[in-house]
Amino acid sequence: MSSPQSFLNSPTVKLDHVTQRFRVIQERPDTLRELFSKFLRHEVSYHDFDAVSDLSLQVPHGQMLGLIGRNGSGKSTLLKIIAGVYRPTSGRVQVRGTLAPLIELGAGFHQELTGRENIMLNGLLMGCSREQMNAREQRIIDFAEIDEFIDTPIKQYSSGMQTRLAFAVATEVDPDILILDEILAVGDAAFQQKCFARIENFRRAGKTILFVSHNMNQITEYCDRVIMLDRGKIVSDGSAAEVVETYKHLTVPELANAG
Amino acid sequence: MFNLLPLKHRATSGGEGLAAAHIALEFSGLTELIRNTYHYRELIWALALKELKVRYKRSVLGFLWALLNPALMMGVLTIVFSTILRFGLPHYAIFLLSVLLPWTFFSQSLSYSVESIVGNGDLIKKVSVPKLVFPIAAVVSNSINLFLSLIPMLLLVLLMRHPLYATWLYLPVPMAALIIFTLGVSFFFAAANVYYRDISHILQVVLSAWFYFTPIIYALDFIPANRQWIFKLNPIIYVINGFRLAIYYGQLPRWSSVAASFVCAFVALGIGLAVFRKYQDDFVFYV
Repeated sequence: MSSPQSFLNSPTVKLDHVTQRFRVIQERPDTLRELFSKFLRHEVSYHDFDAVSDLSLQVPHGQMLGLIGRNGSGKSTLLKIIAGVYRPTSGRVQVRGTLAPLIELGAGFHQELTGRENIMLNGLLMGCSREQMNAREQRIIDFAEIDEFIDTPIKQYSSGMQTRLAFAVATEVDPDILILDEILAVGDAAFQQKCFARIENFRRAGKTILFVSHNMNQITEYCDRVIMLDRGKIVSDGSAAEVVETYKHLTVPELANAG
Repeated sequence: MFNLLPLKHRATSGGEGLAAAHIALEFSGLTELIRNTYHYRELIWALALKELKVRYKRSVLGFLWALLNPALMMGVLTIVFSTILRFGLPHYAIFLLSVLLPWTFFSQSLSYSVESIVGNGDLIKKVSVPKLVFPIAAVVSNSINLFLSLIPMLLLVLLMRHPLYATWLYLPVPMAALIIFTLGVSFFFAAANVYYRDISHILQVVLSAWFYFTPIIYALDFIPANRQWIFKLNPIIYVINGFRLAIYYGQLPRWSSVAASFVCAFVALGIGLAVFRKYQDDFVFYV
């Protein structure tokens, strides 16, 4: 265990030349029959591509880092590597502190279970104990504003209610690192406001936040630093204003070229 | 359709700090795997209960079905074998059920766990959680069913006026061996099914063949002595026999038989864990 000082000074997230290579196989054989027929006809066509390519990144303690880039630029893959969902093909990943990934809302939700049961299940999935979750249950219910529906199976919830519940669970488990992947696009304006107020609290408490959004206003308003990804590489890294500006200039001509 | 496959992994992960451990533990040694899985023991229990809850949800009798189901099955078998099909064995229903219950546990656990990784694919793609928890939860939820089914079994023994032997107290021993064996086999099939979905269909055929080659509806004595050795290669026979001896005959198995049941159980567990561990990091790309 390192001392408090070194903990504060060293980066929370550190990636060293990380590459995540995927092999795209058209029609990967899903069954043995397909495998045999492919094998007999020598039909295995594929190409490799790097979703994240030789990427190095350090995120200091307490920073709110925005990730921008077009679809398929590697943002989600990068977040999944940091969250420990993917093991990268090569490179080194260091993450210090507990982590709450909100890569997709309600990933651990089971539709047949009630809100209350899902709070527990979701917390346990993030590695919390039953005791910890019992203590946090009421605060989660309050924040999500679903008091009267808490013992109803969540398949009867609206998508907005599920979003609120998922956000409430992820932020109430008090992680050191919060990963938000385009999840705040859902929910009404009032709840979004509330979410950002909570994110603001997280920042003040010195937590690290990784934030993906296509909403440049949100990015400029909240992020201390922004990186722009393209084809799995960081092409721009700096203050929110700078990088968002570059992004706007870059995407417009590229879109024109593509058209 | 496009599918994503990862290339061979060469990454190392740092081991310092609080949740550097969180990432590192997924990718390193067997003890880490077990320690990490143990950390999620409350999740395993919650998933197992969820399995039962979802199974019995929307039914009027709810959880009572966990008791009623084996009770009704026992009722049917008892009527069939004491009135319609009569074998030379007294209380044949008890003879049969004493090993049919553990067998049902074994085959049900496998049917559940073979789909456990694929079925939780959405979760595995979004949350970093030890994958071992899913087949374990499947086995645990079926273990609860096995324990519960002993209650109607006990009632049946009393109802048929079959002697209630003190050897019932020995049952935790074969149960432990059975659960270890089942875990090992489950890990193997859960991992294999991620790569080829045929596995779950093949498993059903294997299980029904395995059922008839295991002395469940018959006793090993029914087999000509010179062919019994073939049946003794069946790894589940030793543990199954422990149940029948304790419940039906009121005897304890020989030491050699107990030892054999635990050797088979731990060999199965070792193979299952080794295979699962080797492939678990790639599951996320195939589910």
